[in-house]
Amino acid sequence: MTSSTGASQDTVASLRDRLERLEREGTARQRQLERYAADLREIFKQERDRAQALRRSYRATVLALADAVEARDAYTGKHAERVASYGLRIARAAGVEVDPQVEFGFLLHDVGKVAVPDAILFKPGPLTAEERVLVVRHPVIGSEILRHIDFLDEAKEVVLHHHERWDGTGYPDELEGEDIPMQARVFAVADTLDALTTDRPYQAATSWAKAREVIRMEAGMQFDPAIVAAYETVPDEEFTGIRDAIA
Amino acid sequence: MTPTILIVDDDPLVRKLITTTLQDVAGFRLREAGDGLEALEAAAQECPRIVFLDYDMPRLNGIETCRRLRSDPSTADATIIMLTGMSDAPALDRALDAGADHFLTKPFSPLRLLRLVDELGAG
Repeated sequence: MTSSTGASQDTVASLRDRLERLEREGTARQRQLERYAADLREIFKQERDRAQALRRSYRATVLALADAVEARDAYTGKHAERVASYGLRIARAAGVEVDPQVEFGFLLHDVGKVAVPDAILFKPGPLTAEERVLVVRHPVIGSEILRHIDFLDEAKEVVLHHHERWDGTGYPDELEGEDIPMQARVFAVADTLDALTTDRPYQAATSWAKAREVIRMEAGMQFDPAIVAAYETVPDEEFTGIRDAIA
Repeated sequence: MTPTILIVDDDPLVRKLITTTLQDVAGFRLREAGDGLEALEAAAQECPRIVFLDYDMPRLNGIETCRRLRSDPSTADATIIMLTGMSDAPALDRALDAGADHFLTKPFSPLRLLRLVDELGAG
């Protein structure tokens, strides 16, 4: 009897030991899991911050390039930034996915103009046929300038095709209708909107209403009618707000 | 006021892992509840922006908790993320019907958890 009680006490004691050991192991495992979770969280935060810093420096680089193009032309100042913001707004109205690359393409659309001599770019009178050839090459030159920059792959499409026309009479490839990349179709409307509503040496700025009329008339000719329709849903005040924020 | 994430699961380890993973990630305060009834009580006090809700819980299960959160105006707009077992298709359907916005299947991916909350926090 005594020995049997001793045996069961042994068993109870050893079970208790085992239980305690299991609990200790369980706690240790839980702590280890929590440690994994905490480290993963820190790595996630670092990676996220680095990605943000990288995006910021991409954008700063693109803006510097766009500024370099505009620095030659005293009149257009901030044209690229305005066009980019108008374009993003119109893209959103049209339900077009707005990737950061799209904005980069808008900002850099005229980068190829660095290869067009001042005497031609700022010539007050009509261009000769040869001069026109040089001007018309700027989208191709622009896309070639950017060709090795991987993070601008989509942007190159805008740069190359920003002078195409919906009716197929644009350049450089005379693309027609939906063959023109969507972003370039959006850009075309934004570009005209800014050109019309900004003072230029040869032409005073028109009102938003007048610009709207001109753009509406070009739906189906210069512009994709669907993009013009999307543009029509954005009120003038929003464009004013964008322009004032950039000025 | 700092927005809150409410984490509802009857397994304390799961709650602890989620809170550890999400600590200071997107500027949320984290609050835990062990079942549906506790969750409703906590939700009434905190009006959480995001609720992680376990599907299987004692006292009040995830589906019923989800329905009640949706029907209370103070919590109706919360983003509800249901935690369900792997490949439990009927559970997903019931969770959708009850008004859940997203799912995480267990074992959940901590990276998905982080990305989800980071996106919701940014938005």
